[in-house]
Amino acid sequence: MHDLSISLLSYKKPNLTNVNILEASQVSKSYAVHKALDNVSIAIPKQSIFGLLGPNGAGKTTLIRIINQIIMADEGEVLINGEKLNPKHIEIIGYLPEERGLYKKMKVGEQLMYLAQLKGLSSGEARKRIKHWLEKLGLTDWAGKKVEDLSKGMAQKIQFIATVMHEPELLILDEPFSGFDPVNANLIKDEIFELREKGATVIFSTHRMESVEQLCDDIAMINKSQKILDGTKKDIKNSYKSNKYQVDYKGAMKPLSPQFSILESNELEDNHTQALIQTNPGQNPNELLKELIEKTEVHGFTEVIPSINDIFIQIVEEGEDS
Amino acid sequence: MKQIFLVLKREYMVRVKKRSFLLATILTPLIFPALIATIYYFANRDNSEVQDVFVLDESGLFEGKLTSDSYNYTFLEGDKDEAKQRFQDEGAYGFLYVPGIDLTDAEKTSYDEFEFYSQTNLGITVEQAFERQLRKVLEDIKLDQSGLDPDVLNSLKANVDLDTFNLSESGEAQESNSGLSLAVGYIFGFLIYMFIFIYGSQIMQSVLDEKTSRIVEVIVSSVRPFQLMMGKVLGVGSVGFTQLIIWIVLMATLATVGFNLVGVPAEAMAENMPAEAMELTDTQEMAMNVQNMLSTLPITRIVVSFLFYFLGAYFLYGALYAAVGSAVDSLQDAQQFMFPIIIPLIVSIVALNIVIQDPDSSLAFWLSMIPFTSPVVMMGRIPFGVPLWELLLSMTLLIAGFVAMIWVAGRIYRVGILMYGVKVNWKTLKVWFTMKV
Repeated sequence: MHDLSISLLSYKKPNLTNVNILEASQVSKSYAVHKALDNVSIAIPKQSIFGLLGPNGAGKTTLIRIINQIIMADEGEVLINGEKLNPKHIEIIGYLPEERGLYKKMKVGEQLMYLAQLKGLSSGEARKRIKHWLEKLGLTDWAGKKVEDLSKGMAQKIQFIATVMHEPELLILDEPFSGFDPVNANLIKDEIFELREKGATVIFSTHRMESVEQLCDDIAMINKSQKILDGTKKDIKNSYKSNKYQVDYKGAMKPLSPQFSILESNELEDNHTQALIQTNPGQNPNELLKELIEKTEVHGFTEVIPSINDIFIQIVEEGEDS
Repeated sequence: MKQIFLVLKREYMVRVKKRSFLLATILTPLIFPALIATIYYFANRDNSEVQDVFVLDESGLFEGKLTSDSYNYTFLEGDKDEAKQRFQDEGAYGFLYVPGIDLTDAEKTSYDEFEFYSQTNLGITVEQAFERQLRKVLEDIKLDQSGLDPDVLNSLKANVDLDTFNLSESGEAQESNSGLSLAVGYIFGFLIYMFIFIYGSQIMQSVLDEKTSRIVEVIVSSVRPFQLMMGKVLGVGSVGFTQLIIWIVLMATLATVGFNLVGVPAEAMAENMPAEAMELTDTQEMAMNVQNMLSTLPITRIVVSFLFYFLGAYFLYGALYAAVGSAVDSLQDAQQFMFPIIIPLIVSIVALNIVIQDPDSSLAFWLSMIPFTSPVVMMGRIPFGVPLWELLLSMTLLIAGFVAMIWVAGRIYRVGILMYGVKVNWKTLKVWFTMKV
């Protein structure tokens, strides 16, 4: 299976990040009695992978539908490439909705042709691109088949082709990996990175935060119609570091100096123990490591970095406490 | 506009390429005449069957006087209960009981002492036929008693057959045929009714399919919901229109071929000569008469109005069908909203039966003004001749009607298509209608 972290490491972020492809400012939207979005502002740098995170019903899909001009914001403004949202932006967006499907009785090729033309491609250009993409994903033989004859995995690939074949500058994927089998999910991830290399910006919207954590450069968290946090993933993680270290040691451990406290301790097999140790803010991990080497036989040492999910829960809980 | 056209094209091609479309389009013009012939055949066959009817005549007035091609009368002896028993045992069609009747009383003109027993309920026409027969016998006897000469009585009768003419605006009197007008009015009215049912539910199905297959959100990220709805309504409508045109061409061809087979001389057709002027066979004469009668109808006005009302009705109801399809998740859920759409249609078709009997009644006038009923009802009136101002007013109201309905439907549609698994009732629809999107 393809290792994502490698492709992430080998990828060098281009220096274009000062320009935002999308800026939403103070966007609000209400349905009959329910406020779906309350004063939400986000900025999405060009050529980034942006995670729009939050639980189900938080307002993510509403925001995405506003960007896609399916619905209109009650208040606030959305700019794409510095221009107010207008119908011609439809052609530069590729949208894979959470609720997605295809015409079951229509042939694959005709269906892609129809969707491409709706996005403004000429039939000649569309034909070329359909051929290219079907070849790329190994579906050329299926162009003349009806969608109902396709396996679920193939239908998902067709949906993906339909989303990207007009080469959108902005790719919006709502819960992209739900329903995709792992092989397809990885294939799609690779394609997404390739598109980003070519200049596309990607928005991932999901409630399964762990699924996109490693992919995103920037994130925004939405809970109960409000944005509760945004920024680059690196900054957010750093600011929520809590100076905890996970230590794996063998045998006994002599008592530690008072500035280190053991929060948890679990016995493992073969006389090993795993402990969670808290240091004071500003302390260097080396100091803890030095101390540990004197007190026990160290087998593992990792800084505990909170996951995006942990950070989210922490913010929500803090919000409820105050 | 380009987007609407793309949607239209897809809806059209998907349907026209189906084998079922081809079959329905080619077979229907053949099925209708076959159906009519079959019904005609069975209706006639039933009449030719002879049924046994027992009669117990205590008055002694009817013996030997009841005759009929359809019934075989057997006069019984004995009392009423015995006769009834025999009727049941032998399973005859009916048993007529006639008590003693006093015909000497000249004041008495109403006789309700007859009793008729049958195994099944009598149809109204059968009941009337028996009543007529009994009345005829009684009347003959009374006529005889009165001493009036039957010839004198016959000479008092007057049969009237009205020759009807339409006085056109140019003052030219044109012979009209109300029987033909009635048939033509009914057929065109019924065609509109049928097309709305068939193609309306196709629109609903198509909207529902997009919803259940979950493609609709992909589509509305490229097309405005209103464009999608209009493209769909126009696309399905074009299919109906195509079918209609093919039917007309097919039937015209069949008719021409039919006339040629019968062999009406071409010059007679062209010059509209009276049938008597030539030596023609009976069938040729009949064909000629049909042609002559057709020429009395305002054909151009009928065809133009039909196309207009067909489209108008289709837009009006099609939009509503689309709105219903968008609001629900399955066909079963659609039932509750179908009711108010179907009611005016049913009213139209029921009213059509009345309107073609009396095309200038106030019922006919008002129903041909209300946009929901005007297409079907007006088609029933037009062959009889409708004042131009009424026609134009009705058309204007229909345009206003379908524009309003498309607007209403569009507002429900744009919300409905993105709602999954929502329990929808009339209140929900109202909320969607007023919702800002």
